[in-house]
Amino acid sequence: MGDIAIVGIDCTFPGAAGVQAYWDLLMRGGAGITPVPAQRWDARDFPAAGGSGGFIDDADVFDSDFFSVTPREAAAMDPHHRLLLPCAWRALEDAGRAPGDLAGTETGVFVGVMGGEWGRLTMSDLARVTPLLGSGSSAGMAANRISYHFNFTGPSLAVDTACSSSLVAVHLAASALLTGECDTALAGGVNIVLSPSLGMVYGQLGLAAADGRCKPFSADADGIGRSDGVGLVVLRRLEDALADGRRIYAVLRGSAVNQDGRSNGVIAPNRWSQQRVLDSAYRRAGIAPDRVAFVEAHGTGTVLGDAIECAALGAVHGVPRETPCAIGSVKGNLGHTEGAAGIAGLIKTALALHHRIVPASLFADRENPQLRLGERGLRLLKSPMRLPRGESLAGVSSFGMGGTNAHAVLGSAPRTPRTAGAGGTRTRGARDAVGVFTVSADTAEALRRNLTAQADAVAGRPRGAAAALCRSSNLVKTGLPHRFAVPVRDTGELVTALRRAAALQDTASGAGRPWGRPVTAFLFTGQGSEYPGMTAGLHRDCPLYRRHLAEADQALAPHLGASVRDLIVGGDERVHRPRFAQPALFAVGYALARTLTSLGVTPAGVLGHSLGEYAAAVTAGALGLEEAARLVVRRGALTDELPSGGGMIATSAGPEQLAGLLAAEPGTVAAALNGPGDTVLSGPLDALERITEQLAGRGIRVRPLPVPYAFHSPRMAPAAAGLRTETVRCAPPAVPLASTRYGRMLRHEPLDAGYWAGQIEEPVLMDSALGALVAEVAPTHLIEIGPRGVLLQIAARGGRAPAAEHLHPCPGPGATGMELAETVAALYRAGLDPLWEELYAPEHRSAEALAPYVFSSARRSWDRETFVQTARPPATAATPATPAAPADALTALPAERPEPSRGAAAGPAGPDTDDPVLHAVVRAVAEVGGHPPERVVAEARFYEDLGFDSVMIMQLKNQVEARLPRVGEVSVQEMLPALRSVGALAEFLRDAAVARSS
Amino acid sequence: MTRGPDAGDRATVYLASTGTALPGEPVDNTALGRLLGVSEEWIDIFVGTRTRHFGWDPVTGEVRGSLADLCAEAGARAMDAAGLGPADIEFVVLATATPDTLLPTTACEVADRLGLDHLPVYQIQAGCSGAVQALDLGRTLVLGGRRAGLVLGGDVTHRFLAPRRDTARMPTEELVNHVLFGDGAGAAVLTDEPEGERIAVRSVLNSWTGRGRPPGQLLDWYGTTDRDSQRPMLAEDYKAIEEHVPALSVEILWDLLGGLGWGLDDIDFLLPPQLSERMTARIVERLPAGPAREVSCVAETGNTGNALPFLQVERLLPQFAAGNRALALCVESSRWIRAGFALEKV
Repeated sequence: MGDIAIVGIDCTFPGAAGVQAYWDLLMRGGAGITPVPAQRWDARDFPAAGGSGGFIDDADVFDSDFFSVTPREAAAMDPHHRLLLPCAWRALEDAGRAPGDLAGTETGVFVGVMGGEWGRLTMSDLARVTPLLGSGSSAGMAANRISYHFNFTGPSLAVDTACSSSLVAVHLAASALLTGECDTALAGGVNIVLSPSLGMVYGQLGLAAADGRCKPFSADADGIGRSDGVGLVVLRRLEDALADGRRIYAVLRGSAVNQDGRSNGVIAPNRWSQQRVLDSAYRRAGIAPDRVAFVEAHGTGTVLGDAIECAALGAVHGVPRETPCAIGSVKGNLGHTEGAAGIAGLIKTALALHHRIVPASLFADRENPQLRLGERGLRLLKSPMRLPRGESLAGVSSFGMGGTNAHAVLGSAPRTPRTAGAGGTRTRGARDAVGVFTVSADTAEALRRNLTAQADAVAGRPRGAAAALCRSSNLVKTGLPHRFAVPVRDTGELVTALRRAAALQDTASGAGRPWGRPVTAFLFTGQGSEYPGMTAGLHRDCPLYRRHLAEADQALAPHLGASVRDLIVGGDERVHRPRFAQPALFAVGYALARTLTSLGVTPAGVLGHSLGEYAAAVTAGALGLEEAARLVVRRGALTDELPSGGGMIATSAGPEQLAGLLAAEPGTVAAALNGPGDTVLSGPLDALERITEQLAGRGIRVRPLPVPYAFHSPRMAPAAAGLRTETVRCAPPAVPLASTRYGRMLRHEPLDAGYWAGQIEEPVLMDSALGALVAEVAPTHLIEIGPRGVLLQIAARGGRAPAAEHLHPCPGPGATGMELAETVAALYRAGLDPLWEELYAPEHRSAEALAPYVFSSARRSWDRETFVQTARPPATAATPATPAAPADALTALPAERPEPSRGAAAGPAGPDTDDPVLHAVVRAVAEVGGHPPERVVAEARFYEDLGFDSVMIMQLKNQVEARLPRVGEVSVQEMLPALRSVGALAEFLRDAAVARSS
Repeated sequence: MTRGPDAGDRATVYLASTGTALPGEPVDNTALGRLLGVSEEWIDIFVGTRTRHFGWDPVTGEVRGSLADLCAEAGARAMDAAGLGPADIEFVVLATATPDTLLPTTACEVADRLGLDHLPVYQIQAGCSGAVQALDLGRTLVLGGRRAGLVLGGDVTHRFLAPRRDTARMPTEELVNHVLFGDGAGAAVLTDEPEGERIAVRSVLNSWTGRGRPPGQLLDWYGTTDRDSQRPMLAEDYKAIEEHVPALSVEILWDLLGGLGWGLDDIDFLLPPQLSERMTARIVERLPAGPAREVSCVAETGNTGNALPFLQVERLLPQFAAGNRALALCVESSRWIRAGFALEKV
C-alpha cells in the first residue's frame, strides 16, 4: 500500500475546541465530561440516559452567511452538517492552502456519521415535513454538503459502520487517493448527541457507565459515556505532499477493514476478527507488529470489550520485542464519540507522532489486572511516553457495533533536513526579509475578528522573522472578499500592525472589500531622478529586483562597457553623467517594471517621461530589451558628447503665460509641459536668467534644474541626428502607451529611429499624454516606475487623475523592500491577486502554521423540542406554506441572536428605504430566505451573498408578484438577467411596472 | 533513523545553527552619554564600545521585553536555521546571570514559548563563561545519546542600569558598568551528526580557577531583609581585570591548542573575550601572533554577558568555510573561570 500524508487537521471535541486545545487536553490529562447541558435536554426527564456526557460548546453555532446558507435553511439543517462545514474549512486551511483554491477539483469527501438521528427526529412528524428538512435528512448529505459548498467534484460519501465509521472513512479516502480517484481527500467523522435515545439504549444493554465516563482498561471500567465530536483530516499521497512542501503531521502507512461475519451476536465484539484486521493492516503497511510502539485502542471501557480487545492486541503484539507495545484510549478523556471515535483516535495518534510524545491514557492508574497486559507484551500508558528519535510507528483501532472493524498504521513524517544557512541565520547587520501578511474574511466584522485572532496567535510565538509566515498567509488567508495586507519584516511588527488594523477596522459592510480589480498605469520617470545608490535598498532586500536589474545590466554592458548595476548599487557619483545616468535609469525602470509584472501587476497602460519612454516601450512590448539597451546607451553617449551650455528651469506657470517670454528670447523653448502650472523651459543660461527675473516679478516660482544641457530643445539636434541613423526594430505596443512626444496615445506610429530622434529634441507633452492615458484606461492606481517621486507629484499637481491612488515601489533614497511590498499589499487590498510566490526567496518558502479562521458565533439555532420529543404536545407549528412566519418552532428561528445591524450600512436599501419597489423586494427576499431585512441591501447578490437557489427564486417570484400587483406576472425567464442583486431586481421591476402602466 | 555514510564521528558533537536577538534599535554613545551625564569621549576612551541595545527605555526605564522574550527569539531563530521543529529538540540549557525570576527558571519559560515539552531543561547561573558552560553541558548530553538540543545564553540589564540622577556621584567601578553592558541573547542547536552549518565542536574548556582570588566582578541582589541596603548592585575591579584577563586568555589559547595538537597556524579565526572594545584589543595584543582573523562583536553589541560567544559565532558563520578552524576564548572575571572552545567546519 502506498503512503498517505496527513497534511491538515481540524477537530472539536468536548472541552477542546480546535487542534491545539485537543492536544493540550490530552497532554494535561484533562477530560471534557460535563453534566447534560440544559439546551440538550433536562437530565431529570431522562434518568435512564445518565446525567453527564461529552458535549461540545457551541454545537448550536453556525456561520450561515459565510457559507451562503439562508437563515431559514441553516435552522433546518442537521447540526452534524453545520459543524462539518467550518471544520472542513479549517482543516483545509491547516493543510496550507486557501480552501477556495481547491474549488472545481476532484477533491474527495469521506465522512463517518452514525445513524440518521436527525432525520428520524425531524421527519417523524409528517405534518411538519418540508423540502428543506427532507433534502437534508439523509446522512449522505453530511459529505455531499461539503462537496457542494466547497465545489469539490471527487467522490463524496457518508460512511456508517456504527462506531468505526470515521476510521473506515479514512480507509476509503486513502484507497481513493491511491487509485487516483482524487488528489486530495477530506476524511473524518462527526457525532452530536441530539437526544437521550441512544444513551437509554446503552443503559438497557448494560453498556452505559454509571458516571457517564469511559474508563478504558481500568479495573473501574463499567461502560460507555456518549460524546460529541467532529474531526476531519486532509490527506494527500505522500509524494505529492512532499513535492508541494506541505507540513506533514504523520503518514498513513496502511489500513484495513473487515467484518465479524456471523459471530457471537450481531453487536458482540469478536477477538479473531480484531486480530485479523490488525494483521491485515500491518501486512498492507509492510511492517512487523514488533515495530509498533503504540496502539490507540478502541478502548471503550466496557468489561467485555476491553478483554476481547486486549486478547487480540496481545496475540498480535505479544511477539518477542525489546519493549512492550504501549496502549491507550482517548475515550478516557472524551467519552465515546461514536461516529467520530475513529477520527479522534487517529488525530490523537497523528499529533503524538508529530510532537514525538504519546499522551497518557486516563484511568490507567487502576489498570484492570484481569487484562494481563504485561504477559501479552502490552503496557497501558500511565504517563506520557516520549518517542525515540527517527521513525516511530503507531496503530489506531476502531470497531463498530455491527462488527465492522478498522485498523490504521501511522508512521512519523519523513524529516526533510534543510541545507546550511537556508533558514534564519542572518548575515551580520542584515535585517529580516520583507513579506506581506494577508488576512481575508467574508465581512468587515469578520475581518476584524480574524485580525485579532491572527494577532493573538502571532503574539504567542517568539519574536522572529516573518517572511515564511507571510508567505503561508498568502497561500492560506486569501480568497475571501474583505482583504487586509501589510508589509512586515518580523513578527513583532506584524502583531502591532494586526492590532492596529483590528482597532481601526471600519466594520461598515463595504470596508476592506474591493468590488473590482485595480487598473494600473505605470509612469516611467525620466532623467533628473537619478542619484548615487538609487534602489540599493530594494536591491538588497528583493531577490526579484536583483534578478531583473541583472538582466538589464547584461543587456546594457556590451554597449556601455561597464556594469550599471555595480554603478548603481555601489553609489558611484558618475551616475550623474548622461553617459551613465541614462542607461542606469533605464535599467532601474526596466527592473522595477519587470519586478511588478513578475508579481502579477500588469499595467493597463504605460507612459514614460522623456527617457522613461524607453523602459515604458519595453514594458509595453514595443521594443525588445536588447534593442532598447543599445539605443539608450547610444542616446546617453550622444548626450554626453554635446557641448555643454544651456540649461533648464522649472516654472509654476502654464505654457500660455510663458509664450510671450519665450518669443522674446530666441533659443528658449518649453521643454516639458507637465501641467497647467507646471512647465519646464530649456535654453541658453543668460536667456533663462532673464526669464527667471521676469517670472519672479510676476510672483511665479522658478527653480533651476541641475542639468548642464538644454534638453528637449533645438540644441539637442546633434544627438537627434545621431539617433536618426540607428536602425530600430520595433513592434506595435501590446499595452496601451501614452506618448509624451505626441501628447496622446500612440496609434499606428512606429517607435522607430525617427521617433526617438524627434523625442530628444521636442518638448515632453506630459500633461496631455497623462490626460490621454487616463481617458483611455481609467486607471485606479498610478505607479511611478523610477528611483524617486517625480511623476506622481506632477500628476497630483495637474489633477489629471484625482481619484487614482498613487503607489511608488521606490520613492527615494531611504527605500528598501518595504515600499515594493506595500505597493503589492495596496494592490491586493484593491482587488489584485498577486503572484505572491515571487515575493519570497526560496529559503522562506516553508509551510508555517497559522491560526484557523474564526467564524462568527452570532447565529445559533437548536431545536430542542423536536430533538427531545418530550411528552408535551407539539407547538402549533406554522406550515411552511406561510413563509411570513419565520418564528415557527420547527426551524427555531427565535433562538437566533443575529448580529446587530451587521452589514446594514452598505446601501440605501435597508428597511427604511423610501423606494416602495425596493422595499417590497427586500421584504420578499427576507421572507423567502429568512434573512433579517437589514441584511438585504441593494448590493446583496442572490447566489453569493444571500444563498438563494432555483427553488427560492420561484418562491421569490411569487412573493414579488403578490407584493407588487402593478408589475403583474413576470416569468423567471424575464427576471433572470436582473437577478444579479437585490437592487438590480428592484430596478427591473420598477421599469416593468412603468412599462405596463403606460 | 539509520546513520548515513557521511555520519559524523560518534564522539563529536556538531553545531548546526545559531540564532541571536538584540532588542530595539542600537543606543549610541551620544545618547548614552547624555543619559548618564558623562561625555561621549569618556565612554569611547574608557571602553570603546560604540553601540549597545537595551530592552528597556533608557529615558523612562520602562521595561519592554524580558530575558525570556530575547532567549525565545534567539532559540526560535536557531531552530529555524537548523530546520528543526520543537519535536526534534531533546534538551534545553540556558545560561544567564540575570534571570527574569528566580523561579520558575527562565529556561522553563523559554522552553514553553518554543513549544517544547517533556524534556530536560537546565539553567546555569553564570556570567561571561555561561555560554561555554551551556555548550559543555549540551555536548555532554549529546554524547550521552541525545540527538539534538538547544543551548542558550543571554542577559538583560534593566534591574541594574535603570536611569538614575546620581550618576555624577557614582564611583567609577560602578559607573563603568553603565557603559559596558547591553542586552542580548544567543542560541545554538547542537546535533549528534553534521547538520545545517556542519560545525564540529572539537573541544570545550571550562574550568574554575579562582581559588583564593577575590572576585573581579560583582552582581548583587537585594531581598526583603536588605532592600534598603546602600551596597552597590554592580561592581567591577577593572584594574584586576586589566591585569589578569589578558594573561588568562593566553593560557586558554595554549590549553585549547595543546589539547587538540593544533598550532597557531592551524586556526583561521579567533574569537577573543568580549569585555569591551578596549579590553578586547588589549587581550588580542597580548596573544601570540598568528594568521587567525579576529571575530568580535562587543563594539556594536556591548558586553551582553552570556550571549557574547553566540553573537561572535553568528558573525563567524558567513566567513567560515569547510575545513576552517576557529578558537573562542572566554574569561569570566567574577571568580576567574577559564573557558573556550574549538570549532571546525566539516
